[in-house]
Amino acid sequence: MEYTFQFAAVFRELPYLLGGAALTLGIAFTSFWGGAVIGVLGAVAKVNGKRVARRIASAYVVFFTNTPALVQIFLLYYALPDVGILLDPLVAVVVGLTLNSGAYLTEILRAGVISVRRSEIEAATALNMSRFQILLYVILPHIAKTIYAPLSNFFVWLVLGSSLAALFGVEELTGRAINISTENLRSIETFLVVAVIYALLTLIASATLALVGRWAFRVDAKVL
Amino acid sequence: MFERLVQEAPQFFGYHNLVFIGQAMGRTLWMTLIGCGVGFVCGLFIAIIRQTQTRILMPVRLLVIVYVEFFRRIPFLVILFIVLFAIEPLIPGTSLLGIATVSVCLLSTAFLSEVIRSGLESVPRQQIEGAATLNFSFIQMMSMVILPQSWRVILPPAAAFIVMFIKDTSLASQLGVIELTFAGKMLVNRGFSPILGFGAILLCYFMLSYPLSRFAAYLEKRLESS
Repeated sequence: MEYTFQFAAVFRELPYLLGGAALTLGIAFTSFWGGAVIGVLGAVAKVNGKRVARRIASAYVVFFTNTPALVQIFLLYYALPDVGILLDPLVAVVVGLTLNSGAYLTEILRAGVISVRRSEIEAATALNMSRFQILLYVILPHIAKTIYAPLSNFFVWLVLGSSLAALFGVEELTGRAINISTENLRSIETFLVVAVIYALLTLIASATLALVGRWAFRVDAKVL
Repeated sequence: MFERLVQEAPQFFGYHNLVFIGQAMGRTLWMTLIGCGVGFVCGLFIAIIRQTQTRILMPVRLLVIVYVEFFRRIPFLVILFIVLFAIEPLIPGTSLLGIATVSVCLLSTAFLSEVIRSGLESVPRQQIEGAATLNFSFIQMMSMVILPQSWRVILPPAAAFIVMFIKDTSLASQLGVIELTFAGKMLVNRGFSPILGFGAILLCYFMLSYPLSRFAAYLEKRLESS
């Protein structure tokens, strides 16, 4: 059985694919920061909140972390028109991924908050630090160090997870790959090139995050 | 809207639909279990290869590292497409379920090998030096010293990853494998309300993964204290 790989047809479309990669990063960024807002609220509710708030936050986390994002977005996209809300595919995907990352980030941030030990705060009080100083020099650096690695892993997961937007017709990296492969019929070459682009994209993202972590929080983060 | 749900419910939860959803759930479970079983064995193998020091195995180690890093950094959807287009011409007539299962295996091998590797590396160095002093061979050291001590670091995250693979298999619906997500799409296409169709599917996924994630949390707590 003979098959000759022809990558030329794919490389011609490289700028088009890279445009899709930009949209992929955009989706990941938007849902990451949206999720971070939800995550902070959720973590505060779970650690410090009243019983009702704790219950609601836990139910939210348990539901979203135990069901696939794809089906959640299906529900948003196909069921909301029943109550008169028609979402653009891109908006539906971003909303779905934001709600998802909110749940995961709640858990990550909560783990960071509870890792701060009482004795550390007591030691800071004994050194006559003000409440603001304790927050700035003791609590926040400690939280940043604990959550940095899971946070950057999660961002990589989100970049990969945003590929499901292609199933709703959003033209991000995977979506554009599907477009190209139906046109040039060089499916396997196209998807191999796209796989390499994803790998490079997430490698660059991890490396950048590791550098930022080292510079800002003195975290000894590994790239690989 | 609620009237419609109440009206459709008896028909939706009829015998044939429940059997259909049950079969779909079986396929989701099959992909996850076979994928993770194969992934665990291959992942263990890869993790052990990465622990070796001999120079002859150097190219194998490099190859394995490239494999793991590559497959952890591409989306499952892209893996599915690559496997589909690679297997179809090589072995014509492979079932879509088979293709999806192979994809899950490839992905879970990469992820679980990392989990296992961090477990193997958690064993204190003194243990390895002690084994070397006792003149243990590499295989003896692995099977009698390192592996027995690393299970408690490996198992909790491995269980958490299985939950992730249950959810990832929902993408196999795009190939046309009739698993839970595809079943939900078919039910909705047949005219049931999307809230009912996808809601029931979400509930099914929840029933599969919630016990497992509780089990993972339990393992973590239990093994941490011992």
